[in-house]
Amino acid sequence: MKQITIISGKGGTGKTTIASNFIKLASNHIAVDCDVDASNLHIMFEPELRKKEEFIGGAVARVTGDCINCGKCEEACRFDAISGSKTDIKIDLIRCEGCGVCEYVCPVSAIELESDCQGNYFVSDIGYCTLVHARLKPGAENSGLLITRIRNLAEDLAINNGNDLILIDGAPGIGCPVISSLAGVDYALIITEPTVSGISDFKRVYEVAKFLDIKAFVCVNKYDLNVENTEKIEDFCLKNDIRLAGRIPYDDRVPLYLSNRKFITEDAESGAGREIINLWKTLSPYLKTS
Amino acid sequence: MIISVASGKGGTGKTTVAVSLAMARGYCNFMDYDVEAPNASFFLKPDIKNEQTVTMKQPYFLTETGADFKKCAEFCHFNAVAVAGKEVIFFPELCHGCGGCLLVGPEGSVMEKDVEVGKIRKGKADPGISFFMGDLKPGYMRTITIQSEMDKLIEHDKIVIIDCPPGTSCPMVFSLKDSDYCVLVTEPTPYGLNDLDLSIEVLKSMKIPYGVIINRDGIGDGKVEEYCNKNNIKILLKIPNDMGIARNYSRGVSLVEYDNSWAGKFNKILDFIEKEAV
Repeated sequence: MKQITIISGKGGTGKTTIASNFIKLASNHIAVDCDVDASNLHIMFEPELRKKEEFIGGAVARVTGDCINCGKCEEACRFDAISGSKTDIKIDLIRCEGCGVCEYVCPVSAIELESDCQGNYFVSDIGYCTLVHARLKPGAENSGLLITRIRNLAEDLAINNGNDLILIDGAPGIGCPVISSLAGVDYALIITEPTVSGISDFKRVYEVAKFLDIKAFVCVNKYDLNVENTEKIEDFCLKNDIRLAGRIPYDDRVPLYLSNRKFITEDAESGAGREIINLWKTLSPYLKTS
Repeated sequence: MIISVASGKGGTGKTTVAVSLAMARGYCNFMDYDVEAPNASFFLKPDIKNEQTVTMKQPYFLTETGADFKKCAEFCHFNAVAVAGKEVIFFPELCHGCGGCLLVGPEGSVMEKDVEVGKIRKGKADPGISFFMGDLKPGYMRTITIQSEMDKLIEHDKIVIIDCPPGTSCPMVFSLKDSDYCVLVTEPTPYGLNDLDLSIEVLKSMKIPYGVIINRDGIGDGKVEEYCNKNNIKILLKIPNDMGIARNYSRGVSLVEYDNSWAGKFNKILDFIEKEAV
């Protein structure tokens, strides 16, 4: 079984559009949407829910007993999440990381860590394949843990079903969700755009893939927006032994097709559609289980 | 007054809007909190004068003392410490630096060191903008450690523009938490609408007032506008889908620099926020 994760660094470069079309072009696969706080991969499909589970994620500290205003918790907290511990204790739930240090140092057991339902994860049938996706509660922490959970679930399902490919749509950025969606996959596909921001963020996310020892492919989307910048990206790839997998032209039809829930790769007239098909043809030999 | 610029979906134009607001008004703080993918500096072109290293504390275990580190592994809520016989296995990427293992572990056998997780760069940009950007070191996950250090640099007597990271999870909420107003940037597509709805859910729960900017207006469909009208959400501005804007953006030329008539429109938004919204 092979696994590939689509990432970008910068948001909005086309990860989900490309992933949606790959879902349609691939065979004997399973898909995972690892952008758990703003997931969009289901939108192009009509998902039929097969399974819904609660995600009990990390905990937060709560004052549940009688505080004696000793101030020890505030002193011990490294995340500035506790204030007023000598008068009227307050725990800032945005800052609290659920480490349990305050609970440990409290001499009268007035603080307890409480685990909450931090979201849900789902298994859906989307016609072309099974999709494992999730919905992290707004503002919740531990997206990495949720991603690991849905990836493990997808692996189990793929083994049971005899699927030989897991297609993973990643999150923007280079942090926790990206690292969790990349860890242990065979390939990363980096979708970038020829803008100053796109170039910078592509290099950053490539550093992450390199750090995790994952072979990267690169595709420049909207390449004709700035051909000079496209060449800069491609030069960087050649110098760093990153495989160039494709170039997709700017095409007004892409958002229109999205709005109509139609696949751009079905339009023989669309330059973007053709190049997404070519991108898939370039990648698919690597994604075969030998 | 803190005005944050956010979006659920990435790549909708947060940086374009945040930079335009800052350039239109000037004499403000600009904070790039999108520390995983900081891009505002390409457009504001600040003269970076100062760089601060952001570190976190991470433990190391003196196994040669023969001490038992089982309690550290049991305590760690992030599963960053595992013990196998006399061996301690530490997973630095899972460590939050809470210091718990130091508290519970065998005395004198757990030590801590500073580990660099990124940088904060500081400088000046025209006109009169104090510029701060966070830069997470690739391979590290401590987005919030950097944002938390940046919090300390905010000059609260000034207008503060925060360029937030995308999404709706902890890094976005952390960036927004002290905001007086949030400008949500979206695009008129099903992805834009879905993620706009999610980010509004966050703002409502945080009781932060907000308005919407529709970027690349003309692509996709009219459902974002319908959604805003139906829910009485203020549409602050529409920015058309324009190849001139896109090509200039690709070279690092901001909207206001490309066409100065936008400065007036962004100033109006700031006037509205100051006078009516906050």
